[in-house]
Amino acid sequence: MSHLLKLLTGPEDIGRSRWFWAAFVAVCVFLFVYPFWLSEFEATNNAYYLLNVPIALGLALLWGYCGILSFGQVAYFGVAGYVYGIVSGNMIGNAAGPIVGSLCGLAVCALTAAIFGYFVFYGRVQNWIVPILTLVLTLLLETFLGQTAGYQWRVGTVQLGGYNGMTGIPAFQVGQLVVTGYSFYYYVLIIVVVGYLSLRVLVNSQYGKVMLAIREDPIRTELLGYDIRARQLVVFVIAAVFAGISGLLYVQWGNYITPSQVGLLQASLPVIWVAVGGRESLLAVLLSTCALNWLNYTLSSEGYQYALIIIGVLLVTVMLFFPDGIIVTLARELPKRGWRALVGLHKGKAG
Amino acid sequence: MTDQPRQDRQFGVEPKPESFEASGTSATDRRKALKLMGAAGAGALAPGFGATYLRGFEYTRSVQAQGSSPVKVGFIEDESGNLSVYGIQKLHAAQLAVKEINEGKTLKGGPDIGAGGLGTLGNVAKKPPTISKEGVALDVVDAGGDKSTTEVVFDEDADVFIDSGDKGILGREVNLLSVDGQSNNALWQQLARRLIQQDKVDVLVAGFASAEREAIRPIVDQFKQLYFYTNQYEGGVADANTFCTGPVCEQQVIPVVQYMVEKFGPRGYTLAADYNFGQLTAAWTKAFAPLVGGQIIAEEFVPLSVSEFSQVIARVQQAKPDWVMTLLVGQNQQNYYPQAAAAGLKFPMASTVNMAQGYEHKRFKPPSLANMHNAIQYQLEVPTARNRAFVKRWMTMFPEDPYIGEMAQNTYFTIHLYAKAARLAGTTDQATLKKALELGWSIEAPEGSVFLEPGTHHCAHYIRLAVCDENHNVKFVRDWPSIQAWWLQRLGVNLIRHPEYKQYTPDEDPYFKMFLKKS
Amino acid sequence: MDSFATIVSILYQFATNGAFLLLSALGLIVILGMMNIINLAHGELMMMGAYTASIAWHRGVPFWLCAILAFLVVALFGALLERTIVRRFYGRELGALVVTWGISLILSQGALTVFGPFLPAIPIPGGSIALGQYSFSVYWLTVIALACVLIAGLWALYNYTTFGLQARAAMQNPAMARALGVDTGRVYMLTFSLGAGLAGFSGALFAPTVSIAPFMGQQFVAPAFITVVVGGATNVIIGALGSSLLLSLIKTPIGFVFGAFVGTVALLLAALVIIRLMPDGVSAVLQRLIDRRNRFA
Repeated sequence: MSHLLKLLTGPEDIGRSRWFWAAFVAVCVFLFVYPFWLSEFEATNNAYYLLNVPIALGLALLWGYCGILSFGQVAYFGVAGYVYGIVSGNMIGNAAGPIVGSLCGLAVCALTAAIFGYFVFYGRVQNWIVPILTLVLTLLLETFLGQTAGYQWRVGTVQLGGYNGMTGIPAFQVGQLVVTGYSFYYYVLIIVVVGYLSLRVLVNSQYGKVMLAIREDPIRTELLGYDIRARQLVVFVIAAVFAGISGLLYVQWGNYITPSQVGLLQASLPVIWVAVGGRESLLAVLLSTCALNWLNYTLSSEGYQYALIIIGVLLVTVMLFFPDGIIVTLARELPKRGWRALVGLHKGKAG
Repeated sequence: MTDQPRQDRQFGVEPKPESFEASGTSATDRRKALKLMGAAGAGALAPGFGATYLRGFEYTRSVQAQGSSPVKVGFIEDESGNLSVYGIQKLHAAQLAVKEINEGKTLKGGPDIGAGGLGTLGNVAKKPPTISKEGVALDVVDAGGDKSTTEVVFDEDADVFIDSGDKGILGREVNLLSVDGQSNNALWQQLARRLIQQDKVDVLVAGFASAEREAIRPIVDQFKQLYFYTNQYEGGVADANTFCTGPVCEQQVIPVVQYMVEKFGPRGYTLAADYNFGQLTAAWTKAFAPLVGGQIIAEEFVPLSVSEFSQVIARVQQAKPDWVMTLLVGQNQQNYYPQAAAAGLKFPMASTVNMAQGYEHKRFKPPSLANMHNAIQYQLEVPTARNRAFVKRWMTMFPEDPYIGEMAQNTYFTIHLYAKAARLAGTTDQATLKKALELGWSIEAPEGSVFLEPGTHHCAHYIRLAVCDENHNVKFVRDWPSIQAWWLQRLGVNLIRHPEYKQYTPDEDPYFKMFLKKS
Repeated sequence: MDSFATIVSILYQFATNGAFLLLSALGLIVILGMMNIINLAHGELMMMGAYTASIAWHRGVPFWLCAILAFLVVALFGALLERTIVRRFYGRELGALVVTWGISLILSQGALTVFGPFLPAIPIPGGSIALGQYSFSVYWLTVIALACVLIAGLWALYNYTTFGLQARAAMQNPAMARALGVDTGRVYMLTFSLGAGLAGFSGALFAPTVSIAPFMGQQFVAPAFITVVVGGATNVIIGALGSSLLLSLIKTPIGFVFGAFVGTVALLLAALVIIRLMPDGVSAVLQRLIDRRNRFA
């Protein structure tokens, strides 16, 4: 148990002190309690910000801790969503349907990632090609899903629906309890917290250390006797499973999915969230994902046509002045230099 | 029947039993009394009702304002992102309609008048023959005047834009709550939830692409929100909460194919966008061409991302059809027209989407769209006096706009229709209003008379065949004053008796394959 | 006559597909291939070129001059971009990826806000030539020829001029190049600006065939990246030429027989397979063949 605690408080993420953990627990308690002051709409809206966190965490793991940028995490998001829709849609009326569907979704995700990862990592493709390859995979998936409009494109009783999307996807169900509204918010919150903590344990563990070594210098790690291809593959699959979790939560939130969820714009969003927060810290990514989703929603619902421009400007500014991500840089500099950390940051360590 | 503003006597009919009460909302006395709308919707028209309708206008003036809370019209469209070309037009249409309603204007129209309504062109002879009956023989007493001339009963009625007798709706100002969906489906869902759950809009008007409509329809159904979808689409939506006021396949595909077969020959080649709308419209074309003597010799489905068409053009040239059905959608696919023209492709083209939505004939240089035929329900160039008046009103408010497309016009008359239904019902309660709309409504839109059919929640439209020549000028060579949206009727959809919440596809219609020629 | 016309048509399609890939990739060959900057704003640079061409054309400038103007304008913009933003990302490929994505968002949304949803189109110059039941666009034939000329010119620039020598030196070993008196900063700026200008030029060339809208760049991004990546880094110019020919060779017959959808899928799958089989790209394979031949010559 104490070993686990030691792993949790390891150095590979922001925050080690007792104060940090006290604050963390306090925030968690707050998040559990404050829905009592929220309307159901606001609770589900907040759940939407939270459900994007797993895919970002997976990408942070893959990119920040292992050095591989995948532009195609949304492909697994989509795969999980569609598989869940197909399986649970065919099992409507059966209370175990959603659970079986979720498991199938994650399994198919893992399988697809394993096959694709084998293709990429055992082929020893150069690092900078991986984003492009994963992007091509995503585009392929979107093109394929987009032309499934006809009636012949159905699995059992569920139609794939092409660009109109798959509608009527059932919500998650535990026994007789249908998870919507407030219960959905808690469901997502628990998954996010557990996911974050378990990833934190992973990156601080022995396995995680080797992962970091691969990021720093793959050849040296290989020379030390580790099979880097296998580890890269495993991390890739883990990231894909986390992306799949986000996909599952999304369809359980909106009961709907379309091929545009695996399109070019959507593919770039996790990369933006991770880059802005700071890819080397899971906590930073968690915070930045929620913040950016909130920002996007607020800007567009207030009728702002400039939402995307603002996000673009934000991205450029962050990459110029906070190359390691806003939160990571602040977390690093603030304790050292206080408020002066905010000045002259671009002269700091180059990323 | 009294003139008192006591609401429970408003229409002189005894309140009907509980079964028609709006579900889930806390019923006020006023609302309980309006269960009569359910009664009317179920066909039990009370004798005093007709008279009350005619008095409805003066009645609403004397109705006390329901507090001063504004009527909220929720509106989601893509104002940025790829579909903004269409979204901005629809937003302007909504803004124009809301402004006119608030200024006390409306379009002519009413319930239960039947397809055609007040403004239908009729024929009359100046000097008709006089017939008298002698036993069973009908004798012509006076042969009348020249048999070849007829006159029109209503001269094209430019004056369909009249006073509503009301300021806003029932004395309440109309507020347009419009948000930008950014062509992003997840955002659409969030915004729909916000408008419905948080802002509690009285009516939702949203959606350009079918994907957007399908993204928010589950939310609409979950909260029983009154929802208008004002776009042309592939047809088949049977949803008790949704009213589709745009044209559907049977109103456009069959007329244009019939024209092309008559004029150019039976062999058609379909080029369609590779997604739902393209595939379903192409299926319609293929299934029903044989009924008008034509045949689709080949189909090609082009992915939405393709923008370079030399291979597609070569395949068309190889097939040598008489005419080409182009169902191409989206920015990338529009490039087909200039490229085909540059490659010297001279086949006449037919479509149900071009010109009227994305105004390609204005955006592309001649002769890219030469010989393009479209059975349109509305486009800017419709040559009637009422349309010219409408365009003038629009350009006064939005002088910079490059075009007014069909979905913009649909949005415009839909919001006016909503206002009329609310005035008749005397409330903005959504359940009551759905029943009011299910009376069947006729409204004098800029395109002509539009009729909202009770059971299918779709509209019968005025269809014209537009032809674009090599200078990109438009002329209308044929018209069909009213084509019903008959497909859902054939499927047996009656949302009043059997509420449903789905979208039908052609595979669920056994007639679809019946006349398909085996090629 | 009929089958002859069909063969000519297939050749024409092959050349058009290849030219499309090559022109899409032209600017990226320089920026990605030589400077290793993953430029996700590539599509938007092409869009800028198309916009410049459209605006100039509608003021009466003849088309060939519009294209050159597009080159100059976008090259200038590229120089500006390089000076202010891009130079901080040399060696940081993934950072460059993210920042250029941000720039592309700003440019495309900015174009929408400033210019509206589309610009008026440019008519395709030239007519068509008929052969049998097929007809071919004169403009596309010209564009195909131009693509060959451009790639040859680029090759000549990098292999037979002083600038090319300096540029290659600066890419290979900046410290050594500086020691030998090459102003690497200026070389980088000029190279990036050349890449941007070429992208703008391509955009202007494509402008008559596409609708000129803020998001028109996106249709070129995937083909461009695929072409450059499949080409490989060993010799970027030859690689890109080779890969566009190879990919077009795969796409053309499949697309002709089965249609555009299968053609697109075939292209993407082919790219995946080629990268797997030849991770260093087509140019590496070609280089090995040339070396082997030289060894045994």
